[in-house]
Amino acid sequence: MSAIDEFEAAREDLEALLIEVLGTVAGEEAMPVWDEVLPTGPVVMSRLAIHDEDDGSFTMVEIRTSSAVARVLASRMLFTPDPGPEDLLDAIGELGNIAGGNVKSLLRHSCRLSLPTAEVHEELEVTPQVPGVTVRAAVLGQVVELSVHIPDDVSGLCWPGAAPEPRTVTQP
Amino acid sequence: MRILVVDDSRAMRLIVTRTLRQAGFSGHEIIEAEDGKAAFDIVAAKKVDLILSDWNMPHMTGIEFLRALRASRKSTPFCFVTSEGSEEMREQASAAGAIGLIAKPFTPEAFSDVLSTVVTT
Repeated sequence: MSAIDEFEAAREDLEALLIEVLGTVAGEEAMPVWDEVLPTGPVVMSRLAIHDEDDGSFTMVEIRTSSAVARVLASRMLFTPDPGPEDLLDAIGELGNIAGGNVKSLLRHSCRLSLPTAEVHEELEVTPQVPGVTVRAAVLGQVVELSVHIPDDVSGLCWPGAAPEPRTVTQP
Repeated sequence: MRILVVDDSRAMRLIVTRTLRQAGFSGHEIIEAEDGKAAFDIVAAKKVDLILSDWNMPHMTGIEFLRALRASRKSTPFCFVTSEGSEEMREQASAAGAIGLIAKPFTPEAFSDVLSTVVTT
């Protein structure tokens, strides 16, 4: 079975994983959605990779949501009414970390998980057609995406035990 | 008790602290570190009664921290709180001397189940 077939076969498990993680972090029920997309405007994204050191392959795990949802999640995770830009990145990075760890447990047991990186994009960039699976759930009235795919670029990632790259914070 | 919470995410350190309270483990002193190296320095300098640590962190990972701790003859109870809960990692954690591994996302009940033997309510 190819990696893409494997991701596709795990689609329902990935949807369940996203709903469980979001429900726990947001403190309210998340629902699967199939025909809704991210709203226009600033998007907060976290990414991390799973590295199979035996065959050298990478699997990328990305979480994307609007800055409005990221702000509410950060507020709830950090118990602050007015989270700052660094708080948004920390919260979405941790959301990506939880999702990535669970994806690894689901699909890539004996591999190495990178640390999450998080960044704000002014607009959702048109993602190149990369082989993989994207599942979506709605929480707080908006969409959150989980994408699992084969990356064409793994630069900029940090790995456990190493010194992290300095984080660039931009105001969404 | 003095409990050391180790995670590179401030949000997760706060969530772990809140979940400890929700699990009924309140009234303890909570101190924090953002990676294994900083945590190791804290444990070398002051008495800590329980360590709750992430696994994947910069500078020194959780498993490296635990192994360094045991190599320095410190037997502080140590529990992982991490996003990966595979059987392989649970075996590694146990072999290195951890009392348990709580996988994220977690519930207060998961904290109670693993920590009730080492934390007073």
